[in-house]
Amino acid sequence: MRALLWLLKKYNYVLVFIFLEALALVMLSNNNSYQRSVLVNFTREISGRIFDRTQGAREYFYLRKNNEVLVRENAVLRNKLEQLARQTQDTLTGVSKPVSRYFYTSAHVTRSSTNRQYNYLTIDKGKKQGITQDMGVIGDEGIVGIVLASSANFSTILPVINRDFRLSVKVKRNDFSGILLWEGDDYRQAALNEIPYHATLMAGDTIVTSGFSAVFPEGLFVGTINAFSMKEGNFYHINVDLGTDFQRLFHVNVINNFTREEQLELQSTLSQE
Amino acid sequence: MRLLAQNIIRFIILVLIQVLIFDNVMLNGFFNPYIYILFILLMPFETPRWLLLVSGFLMGLSIDLFSNTLGMHTAATVFIAFLRPWVLGILAPRDGYESDTQPRIHYYGLRWFAGYTLILTFLHHLTLFYIEVFQFHDFFSTFLRVILSTLLSTSTLILSQYFIFRK
Repeated sequence: MRALLWLLKKYNYVLVFIFLEALALVMLSNNNSYQRSVLVNFTREISGRIFDRTQGAREYFYLRKNNEVLVRENAVLRNKLEQLARQTQDTLTGVSKPVSRYFYTSAHVTRSSTNRQYNYLTIDKGKKQGITQDMGVIGDEGIVGIVLASSANFSTILPVINRDFRLSVKVKRNDFSGILLWEGDDYRQAALNEIPYHATLMAGDTIVTSGFSAVFPEGLFVGTINAFSMKEGNFYHINVDLGTDFQRLFHVNVINNFTREEQLELQSTLSQE
Repeated sequence: MRLLAQNIIRFIILVLIQVLIFDNVMLNGFFNPYIYILFILLMPFETPRWLLLVSGFLMGLSIDLFSNTLGMHTAATVFIAFLRPWVLGILAPRDGYESDTQPRIHYYGLRWFAGYTLILTFLHHLTLFYIEVFQFHDFFSTFLRVILSTLLSTSTLILSQYFIFRK
């Protein structure tokens, strides 16, 4: 204690120095806006970096939730887009039509397979959310499949990569339409049949939905032509690179076509005649 | 008592000279002479350290109040007031400083005084200019200003010993 007091007595001028310098620096930062802004910026930079790191970690944990929010937002936006498209069409044609033909519902893929001949997907939306049989399902990168059956809260999807899958599609560039099916080999590729030889094709041509089936609206992206050959018969044998990667498929949108009943009814009366 | 009055008068004169004359000297932004630190340089050897520090604080504060740079000169001047005893210790003649003398050319010669002034002026200007810039962004251009201003201030201070502050 005595030594401490002696030390304090001997070096009290150091304390005075520190006190006066601190006072000067406080005055400096309080009265000179430039120095203050430099100081504040410096501390802000440091704290900002720390918060950036922790926020990065936090965001990582919330990615799943954020994804869902975005997917839901996507569905809402698609609905708005559909309404707007309808509206503009109405104003152009002047014919009264339902405000929107398609309604999109976002859903989460709960189970899927890619390695079988007959693959199926399960999604976490069902009858309670208005999802019924034969509705189209799309992902962010292209079409996914068709609702096969739905229970109260879940639905089973027949995806493109199932040997039972058939869908009417067309070549976007020249509107030749054919049937998309899967031959059970590569989950990234599907086959396109019934496009006649007189159609000119190119590798890389875009394949979109034709809209004939009343399941999908016209013009949704399916994939691109990878290769084509003339083997037998009157039709090309075409390999299509699918837009959707079924291994990485987590969020989908289910398309509810309001006019589907009407369309089917009309078609059935025609076929009866 | 005489010493106190002398120092108070010196204080006032130096502040006035600095604020009224030298603050208006602007030689292309690289030469900024600060001569008010002469007050710290000329304080008697026996001054207690706390008094040195307080004097430095008051001196810097006065200059700051006039040049609207609150804190800048104060910090630099307190700093050299803190370092002065060590500088004096380094420069001390073999048999120490005699009593009844002052840190002046008259007692210890031009060489001694020039070294003493140069070291403390350099330290003061270094602190002051880097506080003013407050970043190491233009480190070398600031350093050039420190060097040039130190040379100008030091020569001015030495010259002043022959003319104004002879006593």
